[in-house]
Amino acid sequence: MRREFGMGVLLFVLCAGLWASNPDFLGASNAINTLRQIAMLGILATGISFVIIAGGVDLSIGSLVGLTGVVIAKLSSTQTGGLGYPLWVGIPMALAVALSLGWMQGLLITRLALQPFIVTLGGMLLFRGVSQTIAEGGTLSLGGSPLLGLASGGIFGSEGLLPYPFVIFLGVIAVATYALHFSVYGRYLYAIGGNREAAEFSGIRVKRIEASTYVISAGLAGVAGICYAAYIGQMSQQVGIAYELYGIAAAVLGGCSLRGGEGSVLGIVIGSAVMRVIDNGINMFRLSYVDDTGAPRSWRLNPNWTFVIIGAVILVAVVLDQLVHILQGRRRIRRMLLHADQNKVAAVPSEHSVTSG
Amino acid sequence: MNSSAAKQQPALPLLAMKAISKRFPGVVALDGVSLSLARGEVLALMGENGAGKSTLMKVLGGVLQPDSGRILIDGAEVKLAGIRDARRRGIALIHQELMFAPNLDIAGNIFLGNEPGTGPSLRPLARSELRARAARLLGRVGLDLPVTTRAGTMLKGQLQLCEIAKALALDARIIVMDEPTSSLTQSESAQLFSIIHKLRAEGIGIVYISHRMDEVMELADRITVLRDGRHVGDMSRAEATHERVVQLMVGRPLHNQYFPERPAAEPAGEVVLRVDNVLVPGAGTAVSFEARRGEILGFAGLVGAGRTELMAVIFGVSRALAGSMELYGQPFAPRHPDHAIARGVFLAPEDRKQLGLVLAMSVEHNTTLPDLPRHARFGVLDRRRERRTATAEVQRLGIKVRNIQEKVVNLSGGNQQKVVLGKWLAMQPRLLILDEPTRGIDIGAKAEIYRHMAELAASGVTLIMVSSDMEEILGMSDRVVVMHQRRIRGVLGRAALNAEHIADLMTGGGSKCSEEGMPV
Repeated sequence: MRREFGMGVLLFVLCAGLWASNPDFLGASNAINTLRQIAMLGILATGISFVIIAGGVDLSIGSLVGLTGVVIAKLSSTQTGGLGYPLWVGIPMALAVALSLGWMQGLLITRLALQPFIVTLGGMLLFRGVSQTIAEGGTLSLGGSPLLGLASGGIFGSEGLLPYPFVIFLGVIAVATYALHFSVYGRYLYAIGGNREAAEFSGIRVKRIEASTYVISAGLAGVAGICYAAYIGQMSQQVGIAYELYGIAAAVLGGCSLRGGEGSVLGIVIGSAVMRVIDNGINMFRLSYVDDTGAPRSWRLNPNWTFVIIGAVILVAVVLDQLVHILQGRRRIRRMLLHADQNKVAAVPSEHSVTSG
Repeated sequence: MNSSAAKQQPALPLLAMKAISKRFPGVVALDGVSLSLARGEVLALMGENGAGKSTLMKVLGGVLQPDSGRILIDGAEVKLAGIRDARRRGIALIHQELMFAPNLDIAGNIFLGNEPGTGPSLRPLARSELRARAARLLGRVGLDLPVTTRAGTMLKGQLQLCEIAKALALDARIIVMDEPTSSLTQSESAQLFSIIHKLRAEGIGIVYISHRMDEVMELADRITVLRDGRHVGDMSRAEATHERVVQLMVGRPLHNQYFPERPAAEPAGEVVLRVDNVLVPGAGTAVSFEARRGEILGFAGLVGAGRTELMAVIFGVSRALAGSMELYGQPFAPRHPDHAIARGVFLAPEDRKQLGLVLAMSVEHNTTLPDLPRHARFGVLDRRRERRTATAEVQRLGIKVRNIQEKVVNLSGGNQQKVVLGKWLAMQPRLLILDEPTRGIDIGAKAEIYRHMAELAASGVTLIMVSSDMEEILGMSDRVVVMHQRRIRGVLGRAALNAEHIADLMTGGGSKCSEEGMPV
């Protein structure tokens, strides 16, 4: 819980600081937009965390976001190039594509013992290429589609303070919390990530479970892809590029280890939120001051610094975490040794007291 | 055989460590330990796990700096500031876990970090010189292999000899060997011993760390015993007896009886497991044997005799190429450990850290791992039930933990092995396979594990015990299957158990062997 706590504090400080510098940060329009962004990244990050906790990695989810978006745009768009099917056809079809691609990658990784990095790298390039082919290098517009309401609408008040993607995210959080922290399946994931062979020797069907993580990861990438399509309103092959890395970054910020066996849903939620709040904060942050002439002015961050800041936050987070880990380890050993010493010392007088009393 | 202890002693010992102390926060690892080593002497350093042997040797190797005390080489005081410093003074440490790069060849490994020539590491690698020198060193240690053999393809015993070659490449005058035979076969050990004798004749001083009394009695000129970081005894081989050394090591008289009392007669219960002409992958011939209810069936043999591979087939880790098995009269052909576990057949593997435990998980979660569905209600893990199971096993086996949430990685080897046992005992085994159940475990924990094994057998559980420890095989088994080169060489009943016979069979001797014309 160390990482979750640390990132939770960071998130709170970030939000408080941004709100102080610019009250619009918590204004309805920015808040709703940020929640939507957190939700879409969070869905993606939750999916990939299943893979990461079991000790694998999935680089294909960014391309799957793009592919599901392009597929649903192609199927349901009533504009040029679209096929005009209703959403109840388009959404299940797009999800089915994502799930089956995830399943195929899972099979390749487990049945042929291929490295997850390589298989999903291939998938990443291949699926990106397929979206490009479907979109024929251009864009598919979802103009006029009821799907757009998925991103723009929400529940809670007239403004829809909780956007639908966030509602979906809450559902994903609930199911993932159950699956990872309360079910047998979740314990198996942590065991496999901790020691794959020992899990196998305990009778766990390691390959099946590993394969299933890629299905979950791809499926949630599909859900995220549909949300992104609704949000952007038009799909090109550009959508979702590098999102797998944001997903991994959010999971890692939240305490997942790429070695496997570590991570929690709470951490992933916080990690996704931190990523998105920083991104949003770079636009919102301002320092007001009065210049020489006495006119009020404000200083803003140059948006070109976005990646520098996000990259630095990730590095600082893992470095701090590792330092704390090392210090805690040392302190624990010292305490253990001290404890053993005291036991020895304590054992002697107690013996005396028994004999004398 | 080796009477070099009485050789003319030079005035100054090769190595003297005087009153070495080392404190770690909260604990005294070494408390004024002294030790001396003469040229051409083999000094056995003995003590239980945690007695301070490794700390002392790390001080000698320059890995740790002592808080106080002096180290003298040839009578001159030296400071060993680091590993390189110690090496430069001719001290070589051979660790228990051999360290080789499996992708490099012998020559590359022997000279790793010590490549011929001087200059920046980007200098050209003098490959031919490297190979020629490596070949000479292999000749000195009696290893008949091309220097281009990759380390990854070599046997443990060959690697051990390579380690010695590596020490010789550094012109070592003092060689420390930490349990060198723990994973060697008998013939490999014999070869190692002859090399040690040779090195001794060349005037090299050897510190030999071992738990095995028989080896120590064969090799050592002198024995130094440590306990709890203190020097508790020093004797020549002539003065040493098994009882005396063990008593010094454990600090209390040891009842020679650490094997529990077993029923005198072999259990004549029903056949639990029948293995019928099973062909294990990689073996040339099929094997057959039976295990009966309530017996401890020992599997003796050298490392690499094919015992672990056979157990992997019984546990469903790998599949038999031919043949059949029966469990309680029903066909038994597990294709995954899951199938074996469902039938009550469990395996505690030899490599418990790699195969037996998820080290980063708690004692509790490791204990319930194979049986989680029974610890869940409607798909939700029942934490209380898990706690109850783990607590029961911790109590039954006397696992020393502060609480069951403690991570397994923090436990000692003996307690880790008990966790492995606990996870299977919680599931009521019918057939429990124990592969090297006490390897690397101190004497106290060993005795407890033996006691639990005897209790299990008495309660009707069938145990298969794979062991390379002859004492253990003789002390615990009702019957013994002896394997050599992936074949069963003989099955001996209680009455026929004796060390010479078993040793003969497992090294390829014996009547069966000559019939089949196998080379010894």
